[in-house]
Amino acid sequence: MVGPTASLSILQRADGSATYKCPATGYTILSAVNGPVELPGRRDALKPEDATVEVFVKPGTTTGGVGERAIETTLKSVLGDIVLGREKGFPRRGVVLTLNIVGGENVERGDSYLTLLPALLHAGLLAMISASIPLSMTLSAVLLGVTDSGEIVQNPSPAAAKSAVSLHVLAISSKDHLLLNQSRGRFDFDTWELIRARALSICQGAANDGDVAMGEGTNTASVNGFIRETAEDQIYSAYAHKLDSI
Amino acid sequence: MASSAAASNPTIPSLNLPPSQFARLQPHAYLLAHLSPPAASDQPSVRANGRATSQFRVTSANAGSLTHTNGSAVVRIGDTAAVCGVRAELLHTEDIASWSVSTASEAEAGNTSQKGGSKTEDEEDRDHVQDLNLLVPNISLSTGCAPGFTPGAPPSTLAQSLSHEILSLLHTTRLVKADDLRIWYQPPNLESEEFRNAGEGMDVDSEQTGGPEPEIKAFWVLYIDIMIISLAGNPFDAAWASVLAALRDTKLPKAWWDADNETVLCSDNISDAQKLSLRGLPVSSSFCTFEADAAAGWRSVVIPNADELKSQAQKQGSQQRWILADPDGYEEGLSQERVCVVVDIEDGKTVIVKMEKHGGWAVDSDDLRQLVDVSAKRWHEMKRILDQC
Amino acid sequence: MADRRRVNGPPGGTRPPVFASLQESTTGAAQRAQRQRQPAELRKIFLKTGLIPTASGSSYLEFEPSASLAAARSNPKSLIPPSSALKVACTVHGPKPLPRSAAFSPNLVLTTHVKYAPFAARKRRGHIRDASERDLGVHLETALRGAIIAERWPKSGLDITLTIIEAEDDRWWGDAPDSHDASWGMMNVLAGCITAASAAIADAHIDCLDLVSGGVAALVSDDSSKSASSVPRLMLDVDPAEHRSILSACVVAYMPARDEITEIWLKGDSSKAALEKGDVRSSHEALIDGAVDAARGANTVLSEAVTESIARSIAQA
Repeated sequence: MVGPTASLSILQRADGSATYKCPATGYTILSAVNGPVELPGRRDALKPEDATVEVFVKPGTTTGGVGERAIETTLKSVLGDIVLGREKGFPRRGVVLTLNIVGGENVERGDSYLTLLPALLHAGLLAMISASIPLSMTLSAVLLGVTDSGEIVQNPSPAAAKSAVSLHVLAISSKDHLLLNQSRGRFDFDTWELIRARALSICQGAANDGDVAMGEGTNTASVNGFIRETAEDQIYSAYAHKLDSI
Repeated sequence: MASSAAASNPTIPSLNLPPSQFARLQPHAYLLAHLSPPAASDQPSVRANGRATSQFRVTSANAGSLTHTNGSAVVRIGDTAAVCGVRAELLHTEDIASWSVSTASEAEAGNTSQKGGSKTEDEEDRDHVQDLNLLVPNISLSTGCAPGFTPGAPPSTLAQSLSHEILSLLHTTRLVKADDLRIWYQPPNLESEEFRNAGEGMDVDSEQTGGPEPEIKAFWVLYIDIMIISLAGNPFDAAWASVLAALRDTKLPKAWWDADNETVLCSDNISDAQKLSLRGLPVSSSFCTFEADAAAGWRSVVIPNADELKSQAQKQGSQQRWILADPDGYEEGLSQERVCVVVDIEDGKTVIVKMEKHGGWAVDSDDLRQLVDVSAKRWHEMKRILDQC
Repeated sequence: MADRRRVNGPPGGTRPPVFASLQESTTGAAQRAQRQRQPAELRKIFLKTGLIPTASGSSYLEFEPSASLAAARSNPKSLIPPSSALKVACTVHGPKPLPRSAAFSPNLVLTTHVKYAPFAARKRRGHIRDASERDLGVHLETALRGAIIAERWPKSGLDITLTIIEAEDDRWWGDAPDSHDASWGMMNVLAGCITAASAAIADAHIDCLDLVSGGVAALVSDDSSKSASSVPRLMLDVDPAEHRSILSACVVAYMPARDEITEIWLKGDSSKAALEKGDVRSSHEALIDGAVDAARGANTVLSEAVTESIARSIAQA
């Protein structure tokens, strides 16, 4: 299976940005982060000791509707969780994340955003890494579908997702916490536990033995490894001038 | 209740502060003191509102009290009240832009569904109910239901996401059957079929000359409007319960295509009207997590691994977090993590229709399994309430 | 352009259902409801305060269903309701500080919002407030402003929100719109709104000069013959669905203890009323007096509800 591709810091004017392309589902997300920034006109709504994370989702071909508001709320609570909003310079400020859906099928009215959610989460996370927003941990997300025959499919295509009996998106932190679960369809709890185990192995890789240094290629199979590598590449290029001087 | 619990609580400094004031000034400490009373005081751990952690508020439902609706319901969960009214209007197929293009394939699909292929029926339901926007739920919070929602303002983010969640749940549960919403027409078998076709224009294909096929002339569109009259936490459960009760109450008039007037007519006779036949009874239960030391968790840069978190909790003995069922407004303000489970029970088997959690990292498999059990219990309670209304 | 902030229906729009010829119908829907009350007899009002604990003050008001509606409910035959009865929920938030951007005000700033639920009337209502709803809001504000002692709360605001869950009909549903047509139902709604808002304000412990209540009187003519003998008669608290035509109607907001009217709204032609012999009042005076009588009736219910609200708040304290 072709893995996802991502590139960081591609926009000049944003504090941080990323594109994330998931070939299995066909979605491409362009994300940009500005933070910490002053949020004008909302002084009363700001938290006195924490940063305010704002998320905007822009669909590719239409303007946003109620579905976008719902997914923004979810993304805000998941990504807001891992932002260390109490670090110096962040309280009473905002972290504004904009996610543009540049490629892939449109989400229909009343459809859940499940097929898109992992891509949105990854794109948002990578943009925040690119903007050097302090994070307590990273996360990785995966979309799993259960077919008629009870088979678990990873990253089903939009067509396959439609015919799936149940769809699940799980986001797992780099420290194995379950950060997000969204399950729709018909299933029982035993199925979900299988899904949970499968998601853990996909996100963290089968050979997940603690915080070992991840060499090139050892952990590319896991989504978390992919996020980590992308972040490492970013650091290498950002500090290239220092590395060269060694 | 609250006063007795707080007064005998030694963690509260001996200020002349009534409990209600203390609850406002130190909400987190107030709820924590209720949930973890000192061992010496010999008090059970209850929430500030006097409920046990997995106890839902008193729920009542009342259906069919509104005059101008096809179905209506008022649901109260504690102090949260939702009024839902279902209005049915007609969508003529001639008003659907893409209808004539897809008629040929629809007609075939219609045949298979009449033969009773269950799979195709499901798929077709999805096509019709979802693609033609036959269900239109909207939730309104600008009713003065709680301070902070400006009346007259456009729907807040909360109202928009709630509307979307309701619609999305209606679609995933496929609660309403598309067949209930279709209005069929059996054209008379005329010999001059060709003339009729020519007269009716593009929407009847020449393939159909074998005999008149029944065709869909119109659909019922259900406008499901939910007014949250009073909001004291957990709007989704109340809104969904009111939608469920209102749809169970909904009666659609008998409707037919009147070929002479080229329109759909309805019968006002109540004995001709049909109740909707819903698929199952999905009941939603919401929870939130209250953490003993919320602030410390957010400040620490090093967060323990999931496994460590578990063993830590076991070691410390005292409970560090509580999962509260059906949170009220006060509790919602004190917690980040939310869980929503929608279950249905068919032949004694619990089927999960939707399971969502976000906003924290505390709840995992073990807790979720318990919550599904709690939700299954709640399903029986709600079924009893909805059956009575 | 579709509303992006709501769930929208089919883009082509939908049509309300049309019922087939009612002449052949056996359901009795084609018969106009008849008023069963005496001309001066009011409908019973159900009024309760404090049902919405998140608000500073709240009330819920319901009119007694007319005889025909009650019969249709207990023994449903037709899907077309003969008439409908007002149901209003009212909340009061405040007094609260005015937003920073607002100009200084030495008085309590009153904001009133009246919104029909989409399913409140025979015709589906939109989500955005229309002109008639704004109109009701303005009338209500005038009615209440005269009763509230506004100078006791400088720099403060009071939000009064009314949600109409079920409205009154403007005419019998089977009648074609004619020249006497006006939004008569709206006047009943206003009277109900005034009484409900007054209860909610008292429930929020806002100081008032008196309890202001609303009442409606109308000149109705039930004769179809239009002959000279069919003189319009004065009736209190009319349900427009029960009458063939309403010539004129008047709604007042009235404070009985001070015998003051804070708001008056008179519509239609009130010149032809048939008054009792020896009555020297002009017919519009009679109409206003009738409305005041109706408001007095509503006030007895209102003061009971407010007493209840105060007893409850004393018990809590």
